[in-house]
Amino acid sequence: MDITAVAPATRSVPRGLVPASLVLGGTLISLIGLTWDIQWHSDVGPDTFFTLPHLFLYAGSAISGLASLVVVLMTTAAAKRDQDIDPIVGGRAVGVFGRTFAAPVGYLISGTGAALFLVYGLWDQWWHGLYGFDAVIDSPPHIGLLLSISITMVGAVMVFAVARDQRWGTFGTVVAAAALLVFSMVTSLGLRAVPAGFANPVSVGTAFFSVMILFMAAHALSRRGGALTVGVSVAVLQAVFWWFSPWAAEVYANASGLPLRDYTDGIPGMPNMIPMCLVVVAVAVELLHRMPVWIPGAVGGAIIAACAPLQRLLTYGAPFHANGRYFATIVLAAAFGALAALLGRRFGHMLRQLAPAKENSHA
Amino acid sequence: MRKTLLGLLGTAALLLGLATPSLAFEPVNVVHTEKVQAGPYNLTVGFSTWPVKAMQSLDFTFAPEDGIADKKGKLTQILGAKLVDDEPLARHPRKRDVWGLDIRALPAPGTWTFKFDIDGPAGPATGELKNLQVMEQPGPPMGLSWAISTIPLFGLIAFIVVAWRRTRSTSAV
Repeated sequence: MDITAVAPATRSVPRGLVPASLVLGGTLISLIGLTWDIQWHSDVGPDTFFTLPHLFLYAGSAISGLASLVVVLMTTAAAKRDQDIDPIVGGRAVGVFGRTFAAPVGYLISGTGAALFLVYGLWDQWWHGLYGFDAVIDSPPHIGLLLSISITMVGAVMVFAVARDQRWGTFGTVVAAAALLVFSMVTSLGLRAVPAGFANPVSVGTAFFSVMILFMAAHALSRRGGALTVGVSVAVLQAVFWWFSPWAAEVYANASGLPLRDYTDGIPGMPNMIPMCLVVVAVAVELLHRMPVWIPGAVGGAIIAACAPLQRLLTYGAPFHANGRYFATIVLAAAFGALAALLGRRFGHMLRQLAPAKENSHA
Repeated sequence: MRKTLLGLLGTAALLLGLATPSLAFEPVNVVHTEKVQAGPYNLTVGFSTWPVKAMQSLDFTFAPEDGIADKKGKLTQILGAKLVDDEPLARHPRKRDVWGLDIRALPAPGTWTFKFDIDGPAGPATGELKNLQVMEQPGPPMGLSWAISTIPLFGLIAFIVVAWRRTRSTSAV
């Protein structure tokens, strides 16, 4: 009898997909931890270093950081052996500490963010020792931690943007940009420390980051519908977290034998920071794409600032006053939105320069 | 791929396993009390640290002499003459037999007033804890704390500036 061995069909994973997915997965775990933690503090309360939402936050940065470290070490080893380094894995390699390490620039950024997270974790620990285990999201060390995770998220956008000619690269860029946009809504709370009585600095910051990230992703992908795709992705994340955050807080409280606070309103904290009008802004950006970029940027910024108190009225029943501060905030958000659009477009262009992809393939 | 999945599942199990037994919450430890008379209601206000310092979080407890079961009320926090916050009196999450604020900080130094509006079997009444002195915040000045905490932001801006300059020649802007 003649037996012929048949090799099993193998499906090779695209080069660069696994580490990029690990970095993105880590940032999404951080995002889940953040929305859960915010809801925990508002609905339940008691806190320790080792709550499950905190562990999600730590694990997210650890996964992203370790994946980045492995890529940098593998790239360094390849460089030492004079092997070709494929820029599809995180972009062009740059020297770190002279030529000690060769790091793809995307993974250098994501790994740096994760390393900073560790440093700011120590700063936060010292802060809590001095000020107590307060649940203030916008304390200086918390903002340092949020900025560190944001840097990892910027790295996640970069490692997918270099593969924008492939389906996984396009998909990953959209998801990573949406995660960065959602996360930036919380980081913007740090602007409460800005003394600005004539306008709302958080609304202006929210408008700035939203418009900038929409434009950045749209120009990085360089295809019609890019801004709308990111806007819809943000809306999906908002909807999922709207359900998840109170549910997870209550399930975890039940599992820990803790009651919910009296007078808990059940309104999801972090999802409610995301502008519900973002899809409208994204549509406006798409419709106005033939105009100078600052015009849709200004329109988008103004829409976000105008809708912010209306959203609070809708969800919390907070009083709405169409006073001078409201209109000053809209004007300021329009100006910052115009600037954000210009910056976002430039950042999108910079993302396209990370690796020599086939330009205009989607244009 | 199977090994990777097993590794991820193992990590998740380890995280869950670590989280559950570690949820040992600190008891509410009152080290100082003040008395407030709100009409017929005799209220004891407890503090878990004393003296109170700005931005330093602590547990506050508000305990009517005959319990909270048949009462409700509102707490208004006033700094000088400025109303800072008002909220319903809610049970302390870690000491459910009294009202309270858990790990809450008063944001600024100065003379604070806690005003209690209580409604119970003996009717509505109001009482105030006046002259609650809150000292200056401990630790470094906030400017320094913010400078340390925004280093990642300025680092990112520096990186963007370098990347901007290196891609300028190919820019279509």
